[in-house]
Amino acid sequence: MSRFAAFASLLLLMSASAAAQTPAPSAAPATAPAAPAAAAPPSGDPLKGREKTQMCEGCHGIEGWRTAFPEVYRVPKLGGQHEAYLVAALKAYKSGDRSHPSMRAIVGSLSDADIANLAAYYAKGGIQTASNK
Amino acid sequence: MTIDLRAWTLGASLCLIAIPVTAADTAAGQAKAKEICQACHGLDGNSATADYPKLGGQYPDYLAKALRDYKSGARKNPIMAGFAGALTAKDIDNVAAYYASQPPVLARKY
Repeated sequence: MSRFAAFASLLLLMSASAAAQTPAPSAAPATAPAAPAAAAPPSGDPLKGREKTQMCEGCHGIEGWRTAFPEVYRVPKLGGQHEAYLVAALKAYKSGDRSHPSMRAIVGSLSDADIANLAAYYAKGGIQTASNK
Repeated sequence: MTIDLRAWTLGASLCLIAIPVTAADTAAGQAKAKEICQACHGLDGNSATADYPKLGGQYPDYLAKALRDYKSGARKNPIMAGFAGALTAKDIDNVAAYYASQPPVLARKY
């Protein structure tokens, strides 16, 4: 029973990330690239994600913090962002579809579970709105 | 006297260069947002679909950088490449300023 639950949540996670990454080249042949995400229920554990935020806070935890290289701009606010988008963003750094050097280095040390947990943590945070309560 | 005039001209032309970089037009940005961005991101940037990031209240320089990267292909996303590719550099600054000016749904961290 619990194995079934684990398998089901894995499937949800896969379909969410496949849909979020849109190109879906050779990925997920089983879950099909079809139907735009039926807003998959949260799959990461925000409390576990919180344990991994040390690497994030040096930039994302400081209001108005600016990158220094290769371009200068304020690092994005994350609190309250959609969980599926945060997962897709971190995976895009991992795959090289997004190229920021610091983010690529950091995400290289994260497992898929870490990514899901961090996304859940940041998605839960921020200003409470009807959509993230 | 001629030196003063030259310095003045240099100063004035530097101002002319600097102004277009900083002055974004949020009204023009909203018009573009209605045309191009709204369907996915919402007019206030608070997209209802989890696949599309929330933009309302995000830093404008980050939003502009993201759009420039989509346009150049430095950030790879087939959907956004098409939309960002249709924007001029000025459109990008305007749209970024517009979404940044919307009521924030994002916080800097938790």
